[in-house]
Amino acid sequence: MLPVASLLILVPLIFAAVTFLTKTKDQAATLAFAGSLATLGLTLYAYLNFDSSTAVMQFFESMEWIPFLGIKYSVGIDGISMPLIILNAIVTPLLVLYSYSEDREAPNRFYALILAMQAAVIGVFVSLDFFMFYIFWELTLIPLFFMVNIWGGEKRKHASYKFFIYTHVASLVMLLGIFGISFACLQQTGVLSFDIRELITQFQFIESGGLKDAIFLALLFGFLAKIPSFPFHSWLPDAYSEAPTAGSVLFVLLKIGGYGLFRIMLPMLPNTGSPDLIIMVMGLLGGVSVLYGALLALRQKDLKRMIAYSSVSHMGYVTLGAAGLVTMSVSGAMFQQFSHGLIMSIMFMSAGVIHRNTGTRIINELGGLASKMPKLTVIMMVGFMASLGLPGLTGFIAEFLVLTFTFGELPGFVVIALLAIVITAGYHLWAMQRAMFGVYNEKLGPVADLDFPQTLAMALIALLVLYFGLNPSPVLDMMITNSNAIVGLAAAAGV
Amino acid sequence: MALENLAFLIPVLPALAFVITFFFGKNMKSGGAIVPILAIAASFVISLMITLGLLANPEEVVTQSVSWFAMLNLGVLIDPLAAVMLCMVTFVSLLIHIYAVGYMSHDPAKSRYFAETALFTAAMLSLILSDNILQLFVSWELVGLCSYLLIGFWFTKPSAAAAAKKAFLTTRIGDVMFLTGIIVLTSDLLKIAGGIPEGVYLLRFNEIFSYIPELSAMQANIFGTEVSHLTIITLLFFGGAVGKSGQFPLHVWLPDAMEGPTTVSALIHAATMVTAGVYLVARTFPMFLAAPDSLMVVAYVGGFTALFAATMGIVMNDIKRVLAFSTISQLGYMMLGLGLGATIGMEAVGVSLFHLVNHAFFKALLFLCAGSVIHAVGTHDMRELGGVAKVMPITAVTMTAAALALSGMGIPGTSIGTSGFFSKDAIIENAYLLGEHSGNWLPYVFSILAALLTSVYIFRLIFMTFTGKPRSNYGGHESPSSMTIPLAILAGFALVFGGLTQTGFMSFLEETFSNNFVNVDIGSLAALGGYELVHATGHEPLFILWLPLIVALAGLGISFVLYYMRAVDLGGIASEKNPIYKLLYRRYYQHELFTEFFSIGIVYGVIAFLAQVVDVIIDSIVESISIVTVAAGEALKRVQTGVVQTYATVMIAGVSLLIILVKLIMEVL
Repeated sequence: MLPVASLLILVPLIFAAVTFLTKTKDQAATLAFAGSLATLGLTLYAYLNFDSSTAVMQFFESMEWIPFLGIKYSVGIDGISMPLIILNAIVTPLLVLYSYSEDREAPNRFYALILAMQAAVIGVFVSLDFFMFYIFWELTLIPLFFMVNIWGGEKRKHASYKFFIYTHVASLVMLLGIFGISFACLQQTGVLSFDIRELITQFQFIESGGLKDAIFLALLFGFLAKIPSFPFHSWLPDAYSEAPTAGSVLFVLLKIGGYGLFRIMLPMLPNTGSPDLIIMVMGLLGGVSVLYGALLALRQKDLKRMIAYSSVSHMGYVTLGAAGLVTMSVSGAMFQQFSHGLIMSIMFMSAGVIHRNTGTRIINELGGLASKMPKLTVIMMVGFMASLGLPGLTGFIAEFLVLTFTFGELPGFVVIALLAIVITAGYHLWAMQRAMFGVYNEKLGPVADLDFPQTLAMALIALLVLYFGLNPSPVLDMMITNSNAIVGLAAAAGV
Repeated sequence: MALENLAFLIPVLPALAFVITFFFGKNMKSGGAIVPILAIAASFVISLMITLGLLANPEEVVTQSVSWFAMLNLGVLIDPLAAVMLCMVTFVSLLIHIYAVGYMSHDPAKSRYFAETALFTAAMLSLILSDNILQLFVSWELVGLCSYLLIGFWFTKPSAAAAAKKAFLTTRIGDVMFLTGIIVLTSDLLKIAGGIPEGVYLLRFNEIFSYIPELSAMQANIFGTEVSHLTIITLLFFGGAVGKSGQFPLHVWLPDAMEGPTTVSALIHAATMVTAGVYLVARTFPMFLAAPDSLMVVAYVGGFTALFAATMGIVMNDIKRVLAFSTISQLGYMMLGLGLGATIGMEAVGVSLFHLVNHAFFKALLFLCAGSVIHAVGTHDMRELGGVAKVMPITAVTMTAAALALSGMGIPGTSIGTSGFFSKDAIIENAYLLGEHSGNWLPYVFSILAALLTSVYIFRLIFMTFTGKPRSNYGGHESPSSMTIPLAILAGFALVFGGLTQTGFMSFLEETFSNNFVNVDIGSLAALGGYELVHATGHEPLFILWLPLIVALAGLGISFVLYYMRAVDLGGIASEKNPIYKLLYRRYYQHELFTEFFSIGIVYGVIAFLAQVVDVIIDSIVESISIVTVAAGEALKRVQTGVVQTYATVMIAGVSLLIILVKLIMEVL
């Protein structure tokens, strides 16, 4: 069997390097497309050979790397990481396709960064050693920083630095947590290790409850800032809205914060000093994020900022469902990560086309675009409806599972999230009405509809949103298997 | 019977028609209208055959179920309740589709129209035959989506786009309540069952109903009063129904929903949307039966809505708006009918559904007639009409038939009468029984007053539109036969359906909850709620039996005097100077109250503003920290050249170094 986990990092990385050496846009785009298709092929191979009925690590590879420090090269894929790899592998080639219509300076760098980002994000998902995990975690910052800094909007400098410094600081706090757990376990066992699963198991034997909480909170902060959850979200609106469309979509695919919750936080949670308090805090932050993001989205005049805040709102479901800590709520939270990646890609791509073809993103300056851009309107409608939680599309499955199954555990926070549902419908419909419907705003001049690559890319994502909304099982089943294992740990510890 | 195996096709065929028409309709004749027409016709035939089978043997309900995801399923349940609804929806929708071929013939986007109405019908059919509450909710939301798309069909009209949004958002308030009800229900079921049970689909109706005693026993303390969880869940469900079925106070979207094509209004008002709320309460009626407090709320809200909407109906000048308020009012009757379950038990479902079906016939007819008038003369303002009967005799006759049915003309104690007579009078009489039995007289009073006003507004519409002299220079001609034939068919049903099926219908529906799929002991449910059931004895005072007819005739008389003879000059009364008229004409200032004051003033203005203030504060904390950081960075400017490639190298090197250092220190220690 192929060493898929390693190849999934290596293939996009190699293609990124080669793409960087190209001279023209056509060469760069073609190579990037080929590279991302190769990754998609590998992912498909992995999926077909994947067993959804077991929670154990599959495609596992492990070897000594820096034995002196106990660092191993250790990778594998399970039901927590597989859906996110699928998400990334599907959207990346479509993002390359979508971006083909846009002419940019330095196309070789642009496309190389997309692939580098893919390698880094998949690297985080397959790493089973904290050292590797952290390296890939930090590597994801670099392509995003450049995306915003080079090809971003007017305030790109400010936004890129803010994003970089903010999340970097959060990462450093997380790093302290990694050191904390590693050295605390060293003291217990006398062996230095960075093996993620090993350390999680050892975590319970740390004697000091205070130390355990400190380690846990340091890691949690790193993940919550990345998700991002209220109140650590303030880097997001600037970064998402200043980024070029491809950058915004890469941000959306950066599902590493939520992934950290499932891979690392939830298995550790039962052994912390005060798990019930932590669950309450997470539930509160999740519920508040949902409502808060929705309220702010309602106030935005800029279409892209509105979508950015809506992203904060949707990611609140991830934290909320994780805090629910029952099999189906955790599965719902995982599914929300998957679903959100698809839906937000459509939304940012729609906003990108509107900005590019009309010259503005201010909702009130648009109007009546539906009559000029019928193709965009249909696809955008699918994205918007999915985002506001319409059944039959992926967003509903995730939100329904999170809300329904968290309710038994944390009813108050679920009610906070429920309050947001009407507001969520409100800002989506308001934006559609103002931007797309009504009389066409003649000031915008002649406006083109989607071209062929854009249509193809966006329509395929929209079809996936519909497909997984009607039939979530292909990814949901493996999520349930692994959620069951996670929740089993908690139940065994009496939480 | 093999036909039962095809039951799942009833919603699937129109859904396929949607896909075909949406993608290929443009290149087909009449926008591909033939595809949804054939699909819905096929669905109608299947529904009718299944219904006939059920009539012969009510025990033989159709059930099909497949796993969807987790412990949830998609399934089909066709019992008498669902069967009646399926036949009605497919039949009315079919006629409206045929009519629309003529009505929409000039519209360039007609293929999109037929695609969307096909999906609308599919969603409604899936809602009806769902065997579980989640699929019902999913279809419920799709119905909402389709209404959004169809009300906003002419999206370049700003008023249409606004009305579509208003409809979606207002019903969404109800939807959230419905969803909350499902969430509370699921969470309770999991508690009762002690986790997710193996091998059962948890949210199937038969599962849910089997847990009613446990749900009823669960108590919650709300503001110091003990309320059973069942009451909470049913009230939340009813909240959903209030939104979808246009009950007070969430009815505000329905009059604005006129912005779509008239055929869409006919679909929404008669067949595919507003009846969903009534159906939801009927479908989950065993739960309501064991929660009589909820039933009482249903009765009061329904009765009040019936009267409240009728008061506005009498002053509207737009022909479609009169009909819109009429729909709200009639839905109020249906809800009232269900609420009467507090005294008459399961019979209430039959009483209410009978009115629902009759109403579907005459309301679809009223809208299609109005559409016929609008199509021909080009205005919906009744003040500009008058004398239309001369140019459009078929429309005039059929619409008058519908008006007779709506106002409930018929002779008590005989089987002579229009459809509306049999169903509406049954509701009013049972409302009297409620008053007599429980002392709650208000619903009865509401229903009688509403009956009077109903007759006033509908004959006002007939007289203003069809009689007298033209008040403006409209042209006009009778509509083509593809439009008038559906009118004639519906008129037939509006006149005779009620009389023909009067007894059979109710007894058929009574089988619904005692069949082999959902076997519920009705008597014990009522006992759970702590009340007794009574039955109409037929010994009600003669006056009570005749009163609905008397008020209906009185209403006809008033309209005849005012709008046919024009014996009284209404200029002084019907003017903005008259405060009562103004209050009614401005629809009790609901728009100002709900939209401007509540939605914009409180929710939008205050909360969102506060959130933004908080966000600025959070952000400025972050920014000021970073200013300090950047200032510190200035000092190290040589290192921080801003070239971030070096960041990566430095970072990784730094991390490695840090680890090595710590390791060394540990070794030394």
